[in-house]
Amino acid sequence: MEVGFVLPSASRESREVDVVIIGAGPAGLSAGIYAIRAGLSAIIVDKGNAGGLAEEAPFVENYLGFEGIKGEELAKLFKEHAMKYVEISERNEVRDIVREGDRFLVKAEKGEYRAKAIIFATGTTHRKLNVPGENELFGKGVSYCVTCDGYFFRGKKVAVIGGGNSGAIAAIYLKDIGVEPVVIEYMPKYMCEKAYVDIINEKGIEYITNAMVTEIKGSDKVEAVVYKDRDTGETKEIKVDGVFIYVGLIPMSDLAKKIGVETDKRGYIKVSPKMRTNVPMVYAAGDVTGVAGQIIIAAGQGAMAALTAYEDLMLRQA
Amino acid sequence: MGYIGDKDKEYLKGEFDKYLKEKVLLLVFTGPNCQYCNVATAIAQEVAELHDAIEFHEYPVDSEEAKKYGVEHAPTVVITDGDKFGGRIRYVGLPSGYEFSSMIEDIIDVSRRTAEVSEEVRAQLEQIDKPVRIQVFVTPTCPYCPRAVRTAHRFAILNENITGEMIEAIEFPEWANKWNVMSVPHIVINEDVQFIGAYPDEQYIQYVIEAWKKAQ
Ligand SMILES: Cc1cc2nc3c(=O)[nH]c(=O)nc-3n(C[C@H](O)[C@H](O)[C@H](O)COP(=O)(O)OP(=O)(O)OC[C@H]3O[C@@H](n4cnc5c(N)ncnc54)[C@H](O)[C@@H]3O)c2cc1C
Repeated sequence: MEVGFVLPSASRESREVDVVIIGAGPAGLSAGIYAIRAGLSAIIVDKGNAGGLAEEAPFVENYLGFEGIKGEELAKLFKEHAMKYVEISERNEVRDIVREGDRFLVKAEKGEYRAKAIIFATGTTHRKLNVPGENELFGKGVSYCVTCDGYFFRGKKVAVIGGGNSGAIAAIYLKDIGVEPVVIEYMPKYMCEKAYVDIINEKGIEYITNAMVTEIKGSDKVEAVVYKDRDTGETKEIKVDGVFIYVGLIPMSDLAKKIGVETDKRGYIKVSPKMRTNVPMVYAAGDVTGVAGQIIIAAGQGAMAALTAYEDLMLRQA
Repeated sequence: MGYIGDKDKEYLKGEFDKYLKEKVLLLVFTGPNCQYCNVATAIAQEVAELHDAIEFHEYPVDSEEAKKYGVEHAPTVVITDGDKFGGRIRYVGLPSGYEFSSMIEDIIDVSRRTAEVSEEVRAQLEQIDKPVRIQVFVTPTCPYCPRAVRTAHRFAILNENITGEMIEAIEFPEWANKWNVMSVPHIVINEDVQFIGAYPDEQYIQYVIEAWKKAQ
C-alpha cells in the first residue's frame, strides 16, 4: 500500500473578498491562482476536498505535461499549487447566496463571505441510471466511485454501466486492481476515446454495445445485471457481484439558478466565451458549463473566468 | 528518510503554529503481526516532531494504556487531551491518503478543545446522554470519506458520550464484512443504525439521535 498524504486546508473565518469561488476542483483552483495573481482578493470554498471530481479519476493520461498520473496525485499538486496563493476552505458547503445591493452574501457552513463577484466552479454529480434495484442495492454492490469501492470486489466480477470515457477508465482501473469488469454500453459502438478502446482490447476487457440495462438484481446484495440486447430485443442476464454506474453527470447549478443565472435544458450554466453568465459579476467555469468534462478544459475555463472577473471589477472601479 | 515530505512538513508547521493551543497526545497502539504498525508509528512521530504541543507515545495493544483508552486493534491512533477525550477520537488502521488530513484537523480541534458545528446541531448533540459509538468504514482512496470521519470526530469532541472511530476497511476485511461494507463511507452507529455516504451535519445527527433513542 502506498502512503499518500493530503494536507488539510480549512479556513474558518467569515470575510469580505473581491471574488468567492465556489468549488475547488480543477476549475476553481485554477481560477483562484489567476484571481490572486491578477490582484483580486479571493477565497475558494468547497463542500468536500479540494481537487473535486479529479480525485476520483483513477489515471489521467491527457493532462499536458503528465504522460500519466493518478487523479488523486494530480489533484494534490493542483491543491498545493493553489494553496500557495489563495485560501481554500474545505468541507464547507455553500448553502445559500443572497444579494445585498451590489454585493453577494455567500452563506456557507463555516462562515459567510461578502463578495463583489462569484465564480461557479461547482462541477457535476453522478447521474443515476434509474432502473429497479439501483437504489435498493446502493452500498450493497451498487457504486458510483471505483477509486472508493473498487477494492471490495477484488477477485470478483462487476459490471461497469456506461462505456464513455469515465466508464472506460473505471473499467481499466478495476482490471488493474484485480477485478473482472464487463462494460455495458447503450450505443451500438465504443463511446470512449480510441486511446481507451486500445487499452480495453489489449487488456481483454469485455465491452458489450447496443445494450440497455433494465434491472439490477439481488436480494441482500448485487447478484446480476439484466439488459436488453437492442439488436435482437432479447433479454440477457450477467451474474456479477458489483455494479459501477458511469452514465453521465448532472450539473450542480441550483445555487446559480437561484440568483438568476441562466442554464440550458440540462441545467448546465450558459457562459460567454469569456465565462460571463447572464448575471453581471457572476461567472462559471469547468464541468458545470457542460463544455467538455476534461480537467485541462476546466482549468483553462477557471483561468478565463478569473481574468474576466478582474477585467470587470477593474473597469467598474475606473 | 521520512514519510512526510519536507514541503508538507513546512506547511503543517505553519498550520500548527497558527492553531495549536493546549497539549495534544498522539497515541499509537501497536501489536505483533501488524503490517502497518511501523508506518503508523513513524507517521505519528513525524507529525509530533513538528510542534511542541503534540506529544507522541507508543503502547502495545495489550497494555494497561490500551485498556484505559478502550483500544483493541493495532494499529490504532488516538488523538486526545489524555483526559475527557479519552480514546473517543480514533483511527483503527492507517490514517493515510485522504485520512491524513482528517488526523491533522483532529489534532487542531483537540488542541483547541472544541470543534465547529452550527447552533442547531450543537443543541441536538447536547441531548445525547448515553454512550453512542460511531464507526466510519473508509478506504484511503475515497475522497468523500474524510468528511464522514471528521463529522464523527467533531461530534465526539463536543459530547463526552460519543466515540468516533474510523476503520480502514481494507486493513480490517472481516470487520468490514460483518457490516457488508461495499461502499464507503459506511457508517455504523451503536452496531445498529447504518447509512452510506458523506452527509451534512444536519442529516448525520439524525442518525446519531436515532441510535441514541433506540438505546434508551
Ligand atoms: C472516473 C473518472 C475519470 C476521469 N478521468 C479523467 C481524465 O482521465 N482526464 C480528464 O481530463 N478528466 C477526467 N475526468 C473528468 C474530470 O474529473 C472533470 O472534468 C474535472 O474534475 C472537472 O473539474 P471542475 O473543477 O469543473 O469540477 P469538479 O472537479 O467536479 O469540482 C467541483 C467542486 O465543486 C464543489 N461544490 C459543488 N457544489 C458546492 C457547494 N454548494 N458548495 C461548495 N462546494 C461545492 C464540489 O465539492 C467539487 O469539489 C474523470 C472523471 C471521472 C469521474
